[in-house]
Amino acid sequence: MTHLFVRRNHVGVCFSGALIVRIWGLLLCSSLAALAQSAPPSNIANPPLSIPAMHLLGMKDTKRNCYGTLSIQDNALQFRQRGKPSAQVNTTSIQAIVLGSESKQVGGVPMKLGKAAAPFGSGRIVSLIAHKKHDILTVEYVDSDGGVHGAIFQLAKEQGELVRDSLKARGVSPGSDEDRSTKRSTTEVMDESN
Amino acid sequence: MKAISRTSTIICVAAIAMVLVALPAQLAAQAVASKSYDRSGGPAMQWSIQVNRVDAGDEELPYFFQVAIYENLLEELNKTEQFKQVFRDGNRNASGVSSLLVLQTTIEKYVPGSETRRAVTTVSGATKLSVRAQLLTRDGKVVIERKVNGNVRFFGDNLRATQNLARNIAKEIKQGRWDLANAPSPGNS
Repeated sequence: MTHLFVRRNHVGVCFSGALIVRIWGLLLCSSLAALAQSAPPSNIANPPLSIPAMHLLGMKDTKRNCYGTLSIQDNALQFRQRGKPSAQVNTTSIQAIVLGSESKQVGGVPMKLGKAAAPFGSGRIVSLIAHKKHDILTVEYVDSDGGVHGAIFQLAKEQGELVRDSLKARGVSPGSDEDRSTKRSTTEVMDESN
Repeated sequence: MKAISRTSTIICVAAIAMVLVALPAQLAAQAVASKSYDRSGGPAMQWSIQVNRVDAGDEELPYFFQVAIYENLLEELNKTEQFKQVFRDGNRNASGVSSLLVLQTTIEKYVPGSETRRAVTTVSGATKLSVRAQLLTRDGKVVIERKVNGNVRFFGDNLRATQNLARNIAKEIKQGRWDLANAPSPGNS
């Protein structure tokens, strides 16, 4: 009996100990899971974005018509020219973002000279096919004195939406003239197809 | 006889020399006067200007065109060195400036062009902008009002029209006759 009692008692102690360990483990796992769910959602919801772009005008201390990288990190919209410090705008100061589109000739000045030099006006035929449609992203923001600035970027087609959506996710409201720009781009496409 | 002709020659040479010395000095003085004073007699450099955002009016002007005109205007007006300060729309510091003029630009006509069509045909596809530019005093009196055009006809992208337009507006403001009769003098608030 004594032996039985002692054995049963030993089993009971082991059982309760294992139960406590299991409960602690369960609590630890659930709290870790809760911590994992609550800590990084800002990074998952608003991942940093970085895409090649051309700065047309408007960013402070940045050349016009220069290529670089447009990125959104934390709460800043940045444009970095190769080998130069980046110009940035805080997303809280952005008042509007408007997306438009524009068709441009490709190749720059060398292509223009080549087309001009081509015999029998064949350069004109090249012009017919050597054009590309770009997204034009306009960002309107205010400086510390309340003065309104406008920055315009040229992006590859459909890249503008990525930037706009990323800015929207950070609480930037799109501009009211969005519909107007869409309307215009449609008319231009029709115009160019004629 | 010989002595008389020699004397007259000397007098002529002296007169020409005097004219040559006096003329550049007079021209320089005129240039300084025209630079620091506008045609109505008021000192142009005593005024500051605030550039308002572009009003698209009834035209379906793309938003980036409006912003490009606004930004180009600020740059061109700064280049003219006609004004003491050039303020952006909404700048709080402008409210404390007594001698402030406001530039209001309204789109009157916009013809969308196409760079491809220009490159192919040369004669068609021009982008044309026509605006009414008004320089107003703080209480709304018109100091100068002009209809200004900005086009791109042959080379360059469509946005170049905004640059040409801004340059033309700045030129009109610099060269135009200001009606400052009803405006308060720049020193008074």
